[in-house]
Parts: sequence; C-alpha cells; structure tokens
Amino acid sequence: MASRKKVSELQRPLWLLTPGGLLMTLIILIPLLLAIWISFIDLDQYTLRRWVEAPFIGIGNYVESFESGLPKSIWLSVSFAVLSTAVTVPIGIAAALVTQNAYRGRALVRAVFLIPYVLPSFVVASVWRTMLQPDGIVNETLGLGSTLWLSGSNSYWTLVLVEIWAAWPFIYLMALAGLQSVDNEVHEASAVDGTTWWPKLTRVILPYLRGPVLLACLLATLNHINNFTLPFVLFGAPAPDDVNVMPMLVYVTSFQGLRFGLSAAMAVLSLVLIAIPLYAYLRAVRLDVDK
Amino acid sequence: MRFGRAIALTGATVLVAALTACGGGDDEGGGGAGKTLNVLIGANTQYPEEFAAWQKSISEKFKAQTGAEVKFEQFASANDELTKIQTSVVAGSGPDVYAVGTTFTPTAYSTGAFVKLGDEEWKKLGGKEKFVPATLGISGPDEQNQVGIPWVSRPFVMAYNTELLKAAGIDKPATTWDELTAQAKQLTKGDQYGLAIAYKDNFDPWKFVWGMSTQAGNPLVDGKTAKLQDPTVKKAYETYFGWLTTDKVVDPAAIGWTNPQAVAAFAKGKTGYFALTTATAVNSLDSGAVKGKWAFTLLPTVPPGATSRPGNGVEAASILSGDNLLVADYSKNKDLAFEYVKLVTDQEVQLDYYKKFGNLPANAAALETLKSDPKLAPLTEAAQKSVATPFTGAWADIQLALTNVAVQTLPDLAKGPVSAATLDTRIAEAQKKAQSSLDRAK
Repeated sequence: MASRKKVSELQRPLWLLTPGGLLMTLIILIPLLLAIWISFIDLDQYTLRRWVEAPFIGIGNYVESFESGLPKSIWLSVSFAVLSTAVTVPIGIAAALVTQNAYRGRALVRAVFLIPYVLPSFVVASVWRTMLQPDGIVNETLGLGSTLWLSGSNSYWTLVLVEIWAAWPFIYLMALAGLQSVDNEVHEASAVDGTTWWPKLTRVILPYLRGPVLLACLLATLNHINNFTLPFVLFGAPAPDDVNVMPMLVYVTSFQGLRFGLSAAMAVLSLVLIAIPLYAYLRAVRLDVDK
Repeated sequence: MRFGRAIALTGATVLVAALTACGGGDDEGGGGAGKTLNVLIGANTQYPEEFAAWQKSISEKFKAQTGAEVKFEQFASANDELTKIQTSVVAGSGPDVYAVGTTFTPTAYSTGAFVKLGDEEWKKLGGKEKFVPATLGISGPDEQNQVGIPWVSRPFVMAYNTELLKAAGIDKPATTWDELTAQAKQLTKGDQYGLAIAYKDNFDPWKFVWGMSTQAGNPLVDGKTAKLQDPTVKKAYETYFGWLTTDKVVDPAAIGWTNPQAVAAFAKGKTGYFALTTATAVNSLDSGAVKGKWAFTLLPTVPPGATSRPGNGVEAASILSGDNLLVADYSKNKDLAFEYVKLVTDQEVQLDYYKKFGNLPANAAALETLKSDPKLAPLTEAAQKSVATPFTGAWADIQLALTNVAVQTLPDLAKGPVSAATLDTRIAEAQKKAQSSLDRAK
C-alpha cells in the first residue's frame, strides 16, 4: 500500500506547474529576495550606482527603522485597517440583505451600491479632498466653521471615513454571493416552521455568510493596510503625523529620502509583522485547509 | 529540491535575458546616421499637443543637423524620473539625456552617473558664457564638478492686483517682507485679503523659509552642518505663519490650499498679493476675473524684521528654479547628446520654447531680448537674481524636513498663533533629520 502511494505521488504531473512556478519565481520570489538583500545593505543615492558594492551593514537598517517612526506607523496602519473592516462588515451585510429580495428598482439599487467600488482610488481621494477643504462643502453643509479634516488629528478619522466609504461594497459583494448560495429549501423549511424574520436571519441565514464574510474581512484588512493612493492623494507627502501609515513612510523614505536600504528593511519588517497574525488567523478560520 | 533550483536558475536566466533586451536600444559605433538619441523629459500637462509638436520639430532639426533620430520619453512626476534614473543607473543603460529639475540636480549628481563638464564639453555646447550666469549656480558643487547644463528657468515672483493696490493708495509694490506685511494689512478689509499663501502645498513652505533665512545671512547649510536652529529660521517661520494667525491678512481657508488653489483664489480678483508664483501661472491668471489687472514683481529681498539686508545676507529673489540637462555617463552617444543639448540651448530654439510654454531661456542672449517687455521685466530680473539652494545630496531631506514643520503645524494655526515652544520643538526635529542626512552625504 505504502509503496503504491509513493509511486502515484511520484507520477503526479508536477511539471505542469512549471509555467506558474516560473512566473512566481520571477514576479514574487526574486524581487522578495532582492528586497531582503537590499534591507541588509546601505543603499542610497550615493551607493546606488555600484549597488553590488554597497556596504553590508547587517541589521543596521532594521535598528534604524525602529528609531525612525516605524512602530507608530505600524500601529496607525493596523488600527486603521481593523477599524475600517469592523465598520464596513455590518454595512456590507445590511446592504446585501436589502437587495436580496426582489422588488421594483432592485437592479438600480445594486448598481448604485457598486459606485464607490468601481471609482478609482485616485478619483475618490481627489473628490473627498475637495469636499473636505476648510471652506469646502462638508464644513459648509454641516456648519462646522473651518474644521481641518486634512491636517492634524482629524486626518486619521478622515482616512478611516473615506476608506469605509470606498471599501464597504466589497463586503457587500461577498455577502451577496453568500446569500445567493442559500438553498431554496432552507427558506421553505423555515417558512414551514413558522420562523419569524429575526431568528431566521440570525440562526439560519447568517451562518451561511460566515465563510465568505470572514474571507472578505481578511482580504479587506490587507487591502486597507496596503492602501497607498488614498492617504497620498488625500494628504500629500510629507503626511501629517497622524496618518503617516506604513505605505506612506516607506514611500517617503524610499523616494524622497532616497534611503533604499532603510525602506526595504521597513517593508520586510511590516511584511513579517503582518504575516504573523495572518498565519494565526488563517489557521483559526481554517481557510487554508480543505474541508 | 533539485527541481526547485532548476526553476530558480531558469527564472534568473530569463530575468537577465529580459534586462539585456531592455538595454538593447543603444547603438554602437560612430557617425550620426542610423543612430537614436534617447531623451527623458518631463511631460507637459498644460500644453500636451503643443509639446508633442515641439518634440517633432526638434527631432526634424536634429535629424537635418546630424542624421540621427531623437526619441523623447516623458515622465509624469519627479518620482517617475527618479525611478527611471535608478533603474538606468543600476543597469548602466537608458536615456542619453535627462531633463531634471534644479533642486533635484544635487541628488542626481550624488549618484555619480552623469558626465562632468570640462572645458571641452562646454566648448561643444557653445561656451559657458552662452548661459545666464545665475542659472549655472546649481550645475555642480563647484566650478570643476559641474554636470547640469541650464536649459530653462522658472524663477519665482509675486503677482499683485494693480487695481486693489491703487485703491489702497499703494503706489509701489513691497520690496521688504515687513513692507509686504504692512501693505497686506492695508489691503485686508471685508471679503478682500492682502495675501494669498498656499499653506498646505508640499513645496511652497520651504521656499519661503529658505529665502528669508538666506536673505538674513543663513543659507541653512554650512559645509556639513545644518543650521536650522538659527534664529533666522525661526523668524522666517513666525513671519510665514504670522500672516495667517497674528496679522490676519490671509483668507483662513488658505490653511488648506496648495499652490494651484492659491492661484485660483488670487485670480478671483479679491486678493492684493499672491506671494509665490511663476511664469506658467500666466494663463490661469488671464482666464480669471483678475485679467488685465495684475502684474508680476520681485519677491522681497530684505529679511523680516529688517529695513535693509545685513552684510552677510544674500539678495535671493528666488530659488534657482527650472530645468537642467544632464548627459548620462553610460551613454554611448555622448557626442550626439552634446549636439542635442547645444541645439536646445541655442537662442532661436530657446525663444521659441519660451513663446510656446512660458519657460524663460537659460540662454543669455535669448533672455536679453525679452527684457524690453515691461510685463516680463520682473521675471527676467528674478532669473538673474535667483540663488541656488545648497548643493548637497542631503538637500531633498532638508527640504522635506522644512516642509514637515509647516505640515505638522497647520492644526495649531487653526487655533491661533503657534507657541514659541512648539515651534522650537518642531524646528529641532527638522534640524536632527537635516543633520543626520548631511552626515551621510558623500
């Protein structure tokens, strides 16, 4: 038995993976290894030209990362991402439920719900930036005087608000997909049992959404953490301290400070720091294992 | 495992092959015919069609002169250009000629990837004396180590509303910063403001601070030492923030403005001065309510709190602003590259470029012909009185640190004047960043 299994394992057509493997190596593996290498050398505009000879400084860049604001940026990024996800989930699910049953104009409502999602991030940020000017339409409508939304501590909440506005349709789409997969028999059975809407929603329907929505949470959180366009267009660089999220810090270090080694170290560190909870989470919800 | 290694090896081979293919654009050998010169140039978003036409006419001229083609490649932002320089520098192949902004020239110089200009190179270009002397100020750290060939200049000036000034009984625009503040106070009444300032711009703030400090005798960098904690810098920030908080001569909404927003505000015709602008704003101004009622004038050159410039102060009317041309060290077409640079810095081409795009010539004779136009006189004067920002690879960081002081202070300004202690802390932080960057400079 054991030997037969071994033979069949050997006979698996692994070579079919070659094109994919090649692409993965080219697009992910080699750049990743390069980034890790760069994070150990003192690469800046002075050494760029002979980058192979740039001095190896071990963990020097990593130590400096911690002294140049990376911990705060990580905290800002993570809290911003978790907060955005936490708020978008109930909105997304509610929106999916609203468009589940057929009614006149449902197609229109569904289309409207997708508008924030299909707009390019750059457009979303530019429009919000204009609306949130000190003498802009938001302050004028709400009678807030000249409240500053794009500077100081308010900027953090602006970032969260705009991200929520732009990102909730993703949860909505995933939840909608989950709702569609609920069998008709389930609806019939609950009708036969005479279930009222609230128990039906919480005990019957929502459990169906658990899988897709959890996956959506994971993807959405990662998207929030990686979002560079939104803070960059909303606030510009240098960004106010309260929205100096990880992508902004890495960008400024790399492309304005020209410290490529330091920024590579920051990028690698953030990758590791995100990977740890991500791994734990994936194990916990068992998204990475076959059922 | 062996399989994995084979994949990795194949991947690396493909990568190398791809890189070689990318670098294959360079032609080798002598003579112009059949060769292609690659020029990297900033995209012109204001006049894209005219810019394409200009490129075409230059290509034709160049072909007639040398037999070689010019291929223009455009970049959208300074970051695009930086990425291009990075990859070209690492790969040792790419554009032959780069057009780079003046303040970016020290950074480009520090990569060591560009041809240093000796007597022979200058001769090929038609001599150093062909250029406006001030424009050579940011070509290199010293006369022996120049890489940048001045191409166009965009000196900064002030725009003022001639009618509002006249109505307020001001017969001559301000020439000192104190005078400017006083006139702005006179001009501020009702819905009318004395000054338009772009407080949230990512570049404007450092230009004010550098200008005022330099005029007071502190160019911010002394050899390898950053001098941001000098009283002149604090005075500059206080003056700059004070217009909004203590003098109240600026629209409170200016706290959220970038430079184009400030242009738009001034163009409405309800503001006395627009303190930092350049020739490229002409069209925006002429399409606003202010059309026919505005003029350019030099920025003040006497530091705040003074009635005359101190002995060590510099008459810095503007940062040295514009574009330089750099020839890549790795280029296999250096002779062609210099011929191209000569062509676009010649009087006729420079004047044509000015007419199309409003960038002032770096060519001295060309600039001279524009002096007779009274409307342009302040611009040509500013071009001649422009002063280079310190030539160090650390300048990008210093500029960023100076702007950051303004960015972080904006929320305080909304509440009123910023306290001396807060300002000191922020300047100290900027000083630390600037110094650490200077310590790394080679």
